[in-house]
Amino acid sequence: MIELRNLHLRAGAFRIENLDLEIKEKGIHVLLGPTGSGKTLILESIIGLRRFQEGKIFIGGREVQNLPPEQREISYVPQDLALFPHLTVKQNLLFGLRAKKRSGGESAAHLGHLIEALKIGHLLERYPQGLSGGEKQRVALGRALATAPKLLLLDEPLAALDPALKSEIQQLLISLHRSLQFTALHVTHDLDEAYLLGDTVIVLINGKVEQRGNKEDVFLRPRTVPTAQFLGLRNLFPGRVLRRDETDGLMVVSFWGKEIKIPSDHSAGRLAPGMEVILYLRPEEVLVLREGKPIKESLRPNILMGEILRILDRGTHRWVLFRPLGVDGHLEINLPNYVFRNLALEEGQKIRVAMRRESFWVIPSH
Amino acid sequence: MNFEKSAVYAALALFLFYAVLIFSLLSFFEGKNFLTILLAPDVLFSLQLSVLAATVAMLLAVAIGLPAAYALSRSNFPGKKIVDTFLELPMIMSPIALGAALLIFFNTRMGTAIQEKGILFVFEFPGIVLAQFATIAGLATRLMKTALDEISPRYEAVARSLGSSAWGAFWRITFPLSLRGLVSAMILCWAKAVGEFGATVTLAGTMAFKTETMPIAIFMALASADIPKTITLILILAGIGLTALYAVRFVEKRPAVL
Repeated sequence: MIELRNLHLRAGAFRIENLDLEIKEKGIHVLLGPTGSGKTLILESIIGLRRFQEGKIFIGGREVQNLPPEQREISYVPQDLALFPHLTVKQNLLFGLRAKKRSGGESAAHLGHLIEALKIGHLLERYPQGLSGGEKQRVALGRALATAPKLLLLDEPLAALDPALKSEIQQLLISLHRSLQFTALHVTHDLDEAYLLGDTVIVLINGKVEQRGNKEDVFLRPRTVPTAQFLGLRNLFPGRVLRRDETDGLMVVSFWGKEIKIPSDHSAGRLAPGMEVILYLRPEEVLVLREGKPIKESLRPNILMGEILRILDRGTHRWVLFRPLGVDGHLEINLPNYVFRNLALEEGQKIRVAMRRESFWVIPSH
Repeated sequence: MNFEKSAVYAALALFLFYAVLIFSLLSFFEGKNFLTILLAPDVLFSLQLSVLAATVAMLLAVAIGLPAAYALSRSNFPGKKIVDTFLELPMIMSPIALGAALLIFFNTRMGTAIQEKGILFVFEFPGIVLAQFATIAGLATRLMKTALDEISPRYEAVARSLGSSAWGAFWRITFPLSLRGLVSAMILCWAKAVGEFGATVTLAGTMAFKTETMPIAIFMALASADIPKTITLILILAGIGLTALYAVRFVEKRPAVL
């Protein structure tokens, strides 16, 4: 649906160089990155609002970089929504249809369906200034979808909403997407929103696509250290690949003075012996062992003794900060509340934890 | 005395300063002669000439200044800062110097050719318009740029993504949204053009029934020590100016939704 080829873009001191990106038809694709990573610049280039130094943009197979925005067949919802303040809700909704000289029965029926789906029928004669935040969001979505675009670009339009309203609009966007089957490119820095909305997620950091793929891949199996850090992943430990055993499909990685066998396919690419790596262990995958209970043989080499330094109630789970004995480092553990209650853990308590080798993910350091 | 009160007193002191100036005119003002002077053919001519020339100059300034203001507000182009600085030239340059520069220009080869093959400016009506245009064009552009700056370019971006051309987005979105600011700019520039003296007198001269605008008529009346006429003309000019300024405030106070 969208293809960026060899895009070179400058905005002040910020540069995007040699960017290639392909976004497939249908689905909601999330461009995820921290503030200042270049997300909006890319979006503006696709829309045609920003000139870039070099490269090509294709939309639906058509080369568009020399076309003005109005010929690119894209609808756009900016962060501030930009509802036209001098026009009523109805005039806002009709703006695109009038500009494209489409007022036939099909367009009117589509608009009627949209007004009903968005529940904005009672707002039609009002001006944007008198609308609540949620109503403005609905009208902005309605205006963008009124021309039945094949491609909808959303530039963090939900960023300023409170959590309840944000969730409501996210659900609305998902249901509109299901019924209208457009392709959406949604820009955000919100990890939860990216996970909820994205069929695919593209992680952009400092103008560079660090990773793209389905959301499980990106969130659970980051391929670069900047991606892991941006995703706020905990339990990232430096280590080194010692050797690979091709017969049992395992690699031996050293960290914290231990040697751990990890499945070779639990890594971002093929890692050669001697490579510096970062090990990622999801906090919810760490097992706290109950004293006196038998331990599986495969877990025995990966058991750590240590002390609980801190316990925090995070509402949905307990967060436990664990310090292994004789190691200069900490391990974060997320325990479901019922497990926590059964184990009756306390700060200062000595416990044993086990790290399942299947729970590790290994990323090259550089 | 607190800070806020001091500031209010400063504003009142300024008001008093200008009010005293206006009221001092009234001490020499002979009300019974007001209509006679106003309706005298030379005064009526000056009034009509001033209004006409200022209107033409203002329309020209808007015709050229609005696209220029749009470019300065929305685009980045090489030399933008230099262009922007030059627009302020008439604000810091003495009007007489501006008029002299125009007069000298029409004595150059290019200026002479323009006068010979096109329009006569020196000591003619077009000269008045040109002098007023030179004085207000920069200001008009600056004021209209400020009006356009207040409208987020995001509106146009959305309008264009919805299918509007660049012109359509400007006409249907930016123009109506900035209309109050643009009209205020037009009124202010028109009022400044009506009161323009230095550049006009230098380029167009002081010919009665030809190039004698209201400010020039004031100068001529004062030069011939005709105090009642001078005061009457000043009051008329001040009345036009104050009405225009009040109109600007009226336009700016209208509700946000048109």
